[in-house]
Amino acid sequence: MSKPTANWEKLGDKFYRKIQLYTAVFDQDLELENYHVVGAPYSGAVAIYRDENKIIAYRGAQANKASIDIYSCAGKLIRRLNWEKGTIKGLGWSEDEELLVVTEDGTVRCYYDLQGDFVPFSLGHGAEEHLVQSCRFYGSGFVALLGNNNLISVTSYSEPRPKLLAIPPSDPIISWSIIPPAYSLSRSVEVILAIGKTLYVVDATEAEDRNFDAGPFRHISVSPRGEFLAFYTDDGKVWVVSGDWSDKLSEYDSKVKTVPKDMQWCGSNAVALAWEDEVHLIGPRSAATKFYYDAWIHLLPDVDGLRLLTNDVCEYLQKVPDDTVDVFRLGSDSPAANLLEASSLLDQKSPKADDLIQLIRPNLAEAVDTCIKAAAHEFNIHWQKALLRAASFGKSVLDLYSSDDFVDTCDTLRVLNAVRFYEIGLPLSYDQYRRLTPEKLVERLTNRNEYLLALRVASYLQLPTSHIHSHWAQQKVRVSTDTEEDICSLIVKKLHGKPGISFEEIAHAAYDEGRVRLATELLNYEPRAGKQVPLLLNMKEENIALDKAIESGDTDLVFHVLLHLRKKLPLASFFRVINSRPVATALVESSALDQDRELLKDLYYQDDRRLDGSNLLLTEALGQSSLTQSLDKLKLASKYLSDSRDSPAQFQRQALDDASKLLRLQEQFEKDLGPRDNAPIASTSSSFIGLSAHQTIFELLRQGHTKRAQKVQSEFKIADKTYTWLKLRALVNARHWNELEEMAKAKKSPIGWEPFFNEVLAAGNTRVASVFVPKCTHLDVKERVDMWSKCGLLVKAGEEAFRAKDRGLLEEVRGKASGSAAVELERLIGMLPAGRR
Amino acid sequence: MAPMIPFNASEITEKARRDLLLLLEGIRGKKNLVLEKALAGTLNLLVKFSTLQEYGVDKPFFLENDNVDSSQRNVVFLIRGEKATTVTAVANQIKRLRRESQTEHEFSIFWVPRRTLVSNQLLEEAGVLGEASVSEWPLFFVPLADDVLSLELDDAVEDLYLRKDPTSIFLAAKALMLQQQKYGLFPRILGKGDNGKRLADLLIRMRTEVTAGEAPGGTGPSFLGLTPSSMIDSLIIIDREVDFPTVLLTQLTYEGLIDEVFNIAANQTEVDASVVGGAASQPGQTGSASTSLKRKVLIDPKDQLYSTLGDSNFAIVGNLLNKAARRLQSSTERNQLAAKTTAELREFVAKLPGYQAEQASLKLHTSLAEEIIKFTHADVFTRSLEVQQNIMSGIDPATQHETITELINRDIPLPTILRLLCLESTTNAGLRHKDLEMFKRAVIQAYGPQHILTLSSLEKMNLLQPRGGSGLGATPAAKPGTVTNYTPLRKSLRLWDDEVNETEPNDISYTFSGYAPLSVRLVQSIIQKQTLANIIKPPSDPRAAAQANPLAQGLRIFDDATKYVKGATFDERQAGEEKALKARSMLNGSHNDAAKTIVVFYLGGVTRAEISALRYIGGKLKEVGGEGRGSRIVICSTNMVRGSSLVGSAIEAGRFKA
Repeated sequence: MSKPTANWEKLGDKFYRKIQLYTAVFDQDLELENYHVVGAPYSGAVAIYRDENKIIAYRGAQANKASIDIYSCAGKLIRRLNWEKGTIKGLGWSEDEELLVVTEDGTVRCYYDLQGDFVPFSLGHGAEEHLVQSCRFYGSGFVALLGNNNLISVTSYSEPRPKLLAIPPSDPIISWSIIPPAYSLSRSVEVILAIGKTLYVVDATEAEDRNFDAGPFRHISVSPRGEFLAFYTDDGKVWVVSGDWSDKLSEYDSKVKTVPKDMQWCGSNAVALAWEDEVHLIGPRSAATKFYYDAWIHLLPDVDGLRLLTNDVCEYLQKVPDDTVDVFRLGSDSPAANLLEASSLLDQKSPKADDLIQLIRPNLAEAVDTCIKAAAHEFNIHWQKALLRAASFGKSVLDLYSSDDFVDTCDTLRVLNAVRFYEIGLPLSYDQYRRLTPEKLVERLTNRNEYLLALRVASYLQLPTSHIHSHWAQQKVRVSTDTEEDICSLIVKKLHGKPGISFEEIAHAAYDEGRVRLATELLNYEPRAGKQVPLLLNMKEENIALDKAIESGDTDLVFHVLLHLRKKLPLASFFRVINSRPVATALVESSALDQDRELLKDLYYQDDRRLDGSNLLLTEALGQSSLTQSLDKLKLASKYLSDSRDSPAQFQRQALDDASKLLRLQEQFEKDLGPRDNAPIASTSSSFIGLSAHQTIFELLRQGHTKRAQKVQSEFKIADKTYTWLKLRALVNARHWNELEEMAKAKKSPIGWEPFFNEVLAAGNTRVASVFVPKCTHLDVKERVDMWSKCGLLVKAGEEAFRAKDRGLLEEVRGKASGSAAVELERLIGMLPAGRR
Repeated sequence: MAPMIPFNASEITEKARRDLLLLLEGIRGKKNLVLEKALAGTLNLLVKFSTLQEYGVDKPFFLENDNVDSSQRNVVFLIRGEKATTVTAVANQIKRLRRESQTEHEFSIFWVPRRTLVSNQLLEEAGVLGEASVSEWPLFFVPLADDVLSLELDDAVEDLYLRKDPTSIFLAAKALMLQQQKYGLFPRILGKGDNGKRLADLLIRMRTEVTAGEAPGGTGPSFLGLTPSSMIDSLIIIDREVDFPTVLLTQLTYEGLIDEVFNIAANQTEVDASVVGGAASQPGQTGSASTSLKRKVLIDPKDQLYSTLGDSNFAIVGNLLNKAARRLQSSTERNQLAAKTTAELREFVAKLPGYQAEQASLKLHTSLAEEIIKFTHADVFTRSLEVQQNIMSGIDPATQHETITELINRDIPLPTILRLLCLESTTNAGLRHKDLEMFKRAVIQAYGPQHILTLSSLEKMNLLQPRGGSGLGATPAAKPGTVTNYTPLRKSLRLWDDEVNETEPNDISYTFSGYAPLSVRLVQSIIQKQTLANIIKPPSDPRAAAQANPLAQGLRIFDDATKYVKGATFDERQAGEEKALKARSMLNGSHNDAAKTIVVFYLGGVTRAEISALRYIGGKLKEVGGEGRGSRIVICSTNMVRGSSLVGSAIEAGRFKA
């Protein structure tokens, strides 16, 4: 095994290492120098497309077709996107590995998976006129530069809202770059423009001249976290300035006449300059080192390093992590280095192992930690193992040590090694993995259709797998050439009953692919009925959609489908659809009652629901503002029932006809008697119209129109009892005491006399009330005595008791009395013989 | 960690409050708030108006009044979005404001409890969807007391039984589902009634849907959330349709009577100012002050005095008030006299605010009780109560017809008459055809032809119907399960209790002075079998009382009784995966036998008297050595209901105009 330090380079006092990730990356025929190459963050996919400005050897019509090719870092073609949509002016990746393609006319296409599906949006703000010149991308957005030097910023791809930034001067821009919002001081994206000899900083509100005169600057590069800015001047110098523009940190003279084709940061500590086949790495204090290649080289910056890509190799250039330096540096006497040494001695069964351990004993825990960390950062499996073994050895010597980090690192390395494998081609460094998060890694694997590995990783790291399954299924329905039955049964077999699987999404994919039957079938397995509805509506399966909506119990959904249906279907078919579904009918009825009476009428008519129809007409009659209209409606309501012979309909008809009759009578009274004054039923209109039959009689009697009242009584066959009650109440209400006394002269009353007494008494007239007491002959003595007493006529009460010879009662009455009444009562008691018995 | 209590009222209140305030906070600056009248009470219950003001609410408006002005740039609508009419009203107001106002307004709509597809569609059609930022305030359960949670869906009765619109069932299922996700599945769901069955089915259905829709990444809690809960015993669903009579009867508990006389809405009641006198007016009422001399009074279930009064039969409220007054007097006076040392004095002074609050509460309730006494002593009240009691005790209803007719002739309020008629119809499987027509005619003649509609609505709600179903009359006897047959039930569930004891209640029948509400009996037959069995069939040997009464085995009483009760009976068990079950029991330790929560859900509304009855049972369950092992009963409902609102949803308000 080669030394771990073999690929190290010293740059100032720091070490950099260049790790060879993959060899034989691209086909030798691919002239990489003629291509634009961009890599997704976190060692993601690499997209290349041919530079239209460069001449290329003609290889027949086939090869000449324009395309964007997406490769893994190991050079495996993931996807070829045929391109005939105009000149590409910007190609970049988001941190979720979405490929962004910006064409000259300002159209942005966001390829959200690696499968070629995209969401387009337009930049606007004059992009069509002035044309996009170039773009700069960051994790979640990008900035486009237009021909008129306007800058358009997009900050989110899920809800893109292109915004125009402040307008910089219109002089030609030599080079430019951006500071991502996460790292800029203003927390919004900032653009650095090199115009003439100076630099401008542009944000949403202003374009500020930084007053430099060392320009023109040929390249501008911002370090991954925005801490440093690097500029390449026309005279071959590299300036590094701190992110807040306060300090100029270093200046390096490349002493090269040609301007490099690219300048990128390698992590946050060094700047790489790339010429065609030469790379200069410049560290702090102008330390530099040079690498030479024998092919055209491309720089792909990442958060903690730089990927170098040629036809032959893919290399990773990064600063050697401190822990690794600690362990491996030549002549290192750090505890970790000693621990590694001890471990290898142990393998050789050398007793010196123990000596070494004893030597570093005080720092052993720290040494173990360092070894574990160094292992995490190591790409070479041999050294990973060696370091972990050393850590494990050190751990075993310690009495107390938490193994969590050790276990985590083992897990992580297993995953990392698996995805670094050339067939997968995701050469993630440990830091990148931490920043990317395991969930996103699984997502990337899923997007690459590496389902088995994704599932393994997910289950190994205990992550949910539902997304992987449904992605697989969606892909299956898109590309599989099997029969639809087979696809369906295969998917169902694999996924049914797994939590979190949305069959609706799979069905949607099938539908989008034009496989309607498959979509319908798959949709049946979606347990959430509500989820199925929108797709079913899309698929023009309204009836099923309605059934599913009803099944879900969500009336909102049902209503949604109904509204949809109502717009689409002719009325008759609409009714046919809802007819067999009571819930739908109920919902239509209840909403139509408030909003669309005509619809309801038609519905009742079609269903032959006579009673409901007539009720509806009655409701309308009530809503009319004039009496004639009301009467017309009433007539209609009654006519509606004319064919029905069953008893409820008959009854209703009778009632409706009575209502018309009553209204006409009331109209007549109104005419005859004029508006009534001081209506007893307050807050209603002061007219007869609208009153009930009883109220009409009551009102007539109150006003003394007995004849008319009797007419109403006979007209509506109102019982004598009822009439008497009404009369009594009306007279009491009108305080017609004389007439009441007149009534008392009658022999019999249909309701007895007690109510008379009660009502009159309640009205406060004890005198008239007392008139009725003797007439209540069916009551017993005690009650009558009470009645007398209530009228205040205690003597009468006493007499009543006396007549009944009830001493007890009499004495009770006596107890209440005073004054002359008391004397009289005393007398009565005395006359009562029974007391002596 | 404090033990988790499922259906925790204060937790729910706090969450609802936070959600709303967060939403309000999301809108910068001052704002005008437009809300539905139906939500005003609820809002007041959750958030004080002063708090709303702190969060930038300037002026509140009612949607119904359509009068929101342009005084603020921000206009916030707080509206229930289930009904198309309200959505349209919102759209119209936005349009009006946009047309009339000079300033450019920022509209926000908070849909309660969820944003609906229909609202999106309607707003889009009206062309205002783009203008308003739409969010939702997921307000489901509103705690009215510690053990009473209501969805406060005022239209639930009308929707469910008149319009057959199952929206409230869905919302109920959603609300219960949220609780299940938090505290675990109801190990058992049982109950009675067709709509109840639908709710149970929905819950089971939603469970599979939630499992299927589990968001990737959420592995831990939701996975455990969908295993049977160890803290909840069961969910008992009672469909209101099963037991309309209980609603139709006049409630005789104190709280029930306050509701009957003054109406309680969201723990508030409006009382004539002359009644409560100078009780401190409550500052910061949500909504405009009414111009009349009505005063809003908070019926606070946390009030100490009220908590003893509310559930008692009104007959003893006078005594209780008396006792409270004397205690208060003696405790203040004696303390004053005995306060010799400064330490004692300080203690006394510290208690003073408590005394003052108690005094205020005493004053309020004394005047309320007085007013109620006036009401109950009225002849009309006693007559109708008499009819009610006679019908419930099983006397031939025909004997009551004369009284009802007389009451009609006396023109007493229509709801009272309808309650009596419906009571007769629902307890006797309908009225005889002849009688029904007679009463219908009488009602139409006495109260106006518009009530043709009222009567037809009542028939649709199955409240007032001819015997033998609403068919052609040719239909033979009703099929079993379509009507409730009270004759056997009176015996098998002992619905009528002649030896009712109102002072020292020994059975739930005290709430109606004789009638034991059917719905509560059904609940009892599930959770308090032993006691109920002993009530129904007192053991011959008193010492054997503790022994198992053969009736108490399994669900015998429940099964027997439900045969005679209308609607579907259901009993589902929700089991979870064994592994998850173990994990949960490990997490929660072994307090398996400890107090569990029994959730009783009334679909279509619950009356205050029923709540009292259930509380009575709950109290018995908590007793040491009782059969409930300290279980706690939580009462949930779609809304609060009383007889007048039940029939009121059928009453046609319109009348003929000149």
